[in-house]
Amino acid sequence: MSGAAPPGPSGGLRPPARPGPPAHPNPWARWVAFLDRREPGTSLALFRIAVGLCLLYAVSSVVWSGALPALWLNPADGGYTVVGRPWLFRQLGGVTPAAVWAVTGVCLAAALLLVVGLAGRLAALVALQTYLALTGLNPDASGSYDGVFTNALWLLVLASSTATLSLGCRLRTGRWASDRPATAWPRYLVIYQLVLIYCSTGLHKLSACWTPVGGYSALYYTLQQPTWQRWDMSWLAWAYPLTQAATALTWFWEVSSPLLLLALWYRATRDRPGRLRALFNRLNFRRWFVAVGVAMHLTVFAFMEVGPFTWITLAFYVCLYHPNEWREWWQHLADWLARRSATPGKPDS
Amino acid sequence: MWFPHLRGLLVALHLLAVTLLALPAPEGGMDRATWKDPTVQDELAAWAGRLDGWGVHVTPPELEDRLWQFSADYMHARETVLRPFGPYYEYCGTYQSWRMFVAPHRYPTRLHIDVHEHGEWRPAYVERDAQHDWLGRQLDSYRFRSAIFRFGWHGYERDYGRFADWVAGHAARDFPDADRVRVRLAKYRTLSPEEVREGREPEVEFVQPVERRLEGRR
Repeated sequence: MSGAAPPGPSGGLRPPARPGPPAHPNPWARWVAFLDRREPGTSLALFRIAVGLCLLYAVSSVVWSGALPALWLNPADGGYTVVGRPWLFRQLGGVTPAAVWAVTGVCLAAALLLVVGLAGRLAALVALQTYLALTGLNPDASGSYDGVFTNALWLLVLASSTATLSLGCRLRTGRWASDRPATAWPRYLVIYQLVLIYCSTGLHKLSACWTPVGGYSALYYTLQQPTWQRWDMSWLAWAYPLTQAATALTWFWEVSSPLLLLALWYRATRDRPGRLRALFNRLNFRRWFVAVGVAMHLTVFAFMEVGPFTWITLAFYVCLYHPNEWREWWQHLADWLARRSATPGKPDS
Repeated sequence: MWFPHLRGLLVALHLLAVTLLALPAPEGGMDRATWKDPTVQDELAAWAGRLDGWGVHVTPPELEDRLWQFSADYMHARETVLRPFGPYYEYCGTYQSWRMFVAPHRYPTRLHIDVHEHGEWRPAYVERDAQHDWLGRQLDSYRFRSAIFRFGWHGYERDYGRFADWVAGHAARDFPDADRVRVRLAKYRTLSPEEVREGREPEVEFVQPVERRLEGRR
């Protein structure tokens, strides 16, 4: 087994330090060795915290809006439609108000445990099953954000996400942070899932409006749909060329998202030869990918009400960075704060 | 020694399962009646026109027929391939449904709820209208928006009727002087940027009107 990645320049998919174990001769052995890598658990811990916070928001906002009975209960109990019977509710004896409220409470409690970092895998499993049960009650009142949540929670079930930045770590070691290595492959799966979401949605966009055939008009017309808009967006008619450029950029960015995997690999193997590798690293492809992605999601959030989609998707972005990068930035921030707090107190020379 | 190999196999199966499910597919769109919606018909006309320009002569109805047949065959093969992974998707939440804004709805609907008081109708709720926001806290919440979006599509008539019943129950409580409530959808073609700049207004047609009497619900 390879040990934790050493400090220093880092990338999203850091390989073992060289010189290391000898290269494996066949693809299967390389695959097994790739999954055996370990690294500090910082990125996965931040992912856990972000997912927990998003889940708290997603479920509590349904409660807060007063829509829970209407959406998740049968008409006899105040619902607007006949709801389904996911397996968890079948085990609980049916979809009764008491059962729905209890499952909602357990889901919120599991989300809170994820945030504080206690009972990591169990909390993720409970959050996943209760969320699947709740959102399975009324599939008409769901969206792609539900799939993003359940995939994130399943990856947290597979990951050792409480190794650091958790109450579990505090109870175990007496400190909030730990260098205890965790397996890196769940972070790789988080990255793959993010790319899969983007690439798949890009490939599904077969409407003429996403292409020159329809004049790249997709975003303009999407933003005119009353269902999703926050307020009247007819003013975009005067900014139409901007929406066309954004449409083309969005589609190209989504479809080409698998390049991110290549970029992260090139970043992690930057000491190897190759012009394409050098080009990707010189461009800092990851930085551009993240800049476009964050800008796109924040624009969607500003103009459209798509629930927790913006935040749960952005939660995946924390795994694009190696734990050592997070630790380096934290150290820089701590140093900067220390200098700032020390400066005013200095006696005049 | 065996565990790393088992892990390697399971992770590979996970990647295979999620990738196969994420491949483009018209899931949820295999309802021929839905294809008759003007938004879909406009798409078919646009692509038939483009194909014609490329030398592939096909009319929109012919394109629709061929696409339907291809989609049906593709979905059948896809179902066969994905069946072994079904429990993994269902119980582990690894569904991959990323059909987000695949085609803008060019003929959207806007929900209107009116109450009949003192012999005349007046609006109580109009989607995205801050002046008429009765039940707005619930109806404007993100999950209710998804449900309301579907009411304008074929196949959701029964849910729409139940929704009208639900609205009637709340109207009976909140409007003691009202004797009826009406739920309907304002359907219109979204104006192009040029039309908006010219100051034109969309031509609205109210569809799917449903009335409910409030007596007996109080």
